[in-house]
Amino acid sequence: MSVSVADYAEALRIAPAAMRRAPMERVLRIAGFGLIAAGFVAMCISVDLTPTAFAKGFSKMLGFMSGMFPPTANGGEVRILTALAATFAMAVAGTALAVAGAVPLGLLGAKTIVGQPVLHFIIRRTFDVFRGIPALVWALMLIVAFGLGPFGGVIALALSDLPRVAKLYAEALENADMRPQEGIRSAGGGPIKAIRFGLLPQVLPVMSSQSLYVLESNFRNAAILGIVGAGGIGYELEERIRIFAFDQVAWIVIAYVICVMLLDWVSERIRTHLIHG
Amino acid sequence: MARFEAKRRALMLRQRFSNALVLIGVTALLGVSFYVSDFFGGDHGGNPLERIASLIDRLVPDLKAEVLLESRETPGSFSSWYYDFPRWLGLLWETVQIAIVATVFGTIGGGFASLLASKNLSPTPWVHWLTRRTLEIVRTLPDLIVALILVAAFGIGPLPGVIAITLGTTASLGKLFSEANENIDPRPVEAIKAAGGGWWAQMRFGMLPQVLPNHASYALMRLEMNVGGAAALGVVGAGGIGIELSRAITWTQFDTYFAILLMIVGLIFVIDLMSEAIRHRLMGLGGRA
Repeated sequence: MSVSVADYAEALRIAPAAMRRAPMERVLRIAGFGLIAAGFVAMCISVDLTPTAFAKGFSKMLGFMSGMFPPTANGGEVRILTALAATFAMAVAGTALAVAGAVPLGLLGAKTIVGQPVLHFIIRRTFDVFRGIPALVWALMLIVAFGLGPFGGVIALALSDLPRVAKLYAEALENADMRPQEGIRSAGGGPIKAIRFGLLPQVLPVMSSQSLYVLESNFRNAAILGIVGAGGIGYELEERIRIFAFDQVAWIVIAYVICVMLLDWVSERIRTHLIHG
Repeated sequence: MARFEAKRRALMLRQRFSNALVLIGVTALLGVSFYVSDFFGGDHGGNPLERIASLIDRLVPDLKAEVLLESRETPGSFSSWYYDFPRWLGLLWETVQIAIVATVFGTIGGGFASLLASKNLSPTPWVHWLTRRTLEIVRTLPDLIVALILVAAFGIGPLPGVIAITLGTTASLGKLFSEANENIDPRPVEAIKAAGGGWWAQMRFGMLPQVLPNHASYALMRLEMNVGGAAALGVVGAGGIGIELSRAITWTQFDTYFAILLMIVGLIFVIDLMSEAIRHRLMGLGGRA
């Protein structure tokens, strides 16, 4: 059985209120949607998202993209791969610092350790707010303070990770089961033994696997920091975009994507190994 | 018993050996990484701790209590610290607009991409595979790198920023959405199919009502992230408050940098609160629907 247009017209004639919303509600709804749509269109115009601007840039972009083929390193393979390795080193160092700093902060943020609700709320909120500041914003400032080079970049990575990792660690600690610790204490073990054999075996795999996630995201962030003077792959990339050498840009981007995917794959393997033994 | 002891000792030995190997490997990786990153013996313009102290000193504005509420021209007043406040507020608003427009288009794009990328909804297996791989590749590229390339094509302004964040949002939401799509109850979709509904009707009436609360909450979380991301775009010339951050740094006005940073932090705080309130309401609605 199927409903025809005539059936629908018939139903509408018999019981209009069942088929349609009340007239006033319809007007309000349409007005509401219209207002939101108009506001959104105004926003699009204000951020230059107009058909003409888009078409102009898009045709230029197509030109760049055709200039990307064939990708070439232009004899700079070693240089580019070294830059990639330096970027990875930045990511590792930044992650290590972030992890070191996040352990005490995570303890502070865990409800099971700092039980006072107001204090807990304030600490967690602070993490949330600082979590939003991108690494680039830290880097801009720190690279002027410490001079060009990866040092400021590493500190920036660590600073931007700290609140995020601290929150993850705090949650891992909150989720830990207290009973093994109590068992060890009641069997006569001291507090250190309780932490070593009751708490660490529970949280260490989770925390290590989260640290690997952070490493993955730091490899992406570290690539950006080159733009503001931290060196590495971001610097190489920006240099070539500036001279419109898009065939070399394409080579770098492809090499970078392969490295990121490789790291993600390796890290996923290690993570499954950590969690499932 | 002796055999058990021997076996246990051998097992422990092997465990210790592999632990030691991992420890040596990780230590070596860390050592090399810190070395390459100039942590040993590099010149950072003097003692790093002193540099941090002087940085903090330069970040903190030179406010004087007795002239705090004086006009912009009085050094030490609050308005001399925030000397370009209306302009910064305007740029902050531009940052929010970039984030909203990009999140809306990214959510639409991610919604369509997720249909192709979910195993149960994709028209053919190879479309599923291709969409997945494309989303993966786009996800590896940081928004700012994409923005950097787009600025060369679209010129300095918010448009390249919007496109870059839209692409990143599409790729990440496409993945998250497709995972939610794969967990839906297939029966409503099948019912509509059985009643003669086409693919579109199956998606609109069978799938969408199931995933909408979940998708909306992901999209709002993405909006929170995008506001922070959009704040950095200006550094590469892609619009928003970032342009003032990098201007303040090139003129070494650290107190100005700090002033703008505080505004960004405030903005993120407000957006987080709003989005959290909406998300909680959505979850309530999701329970009722």
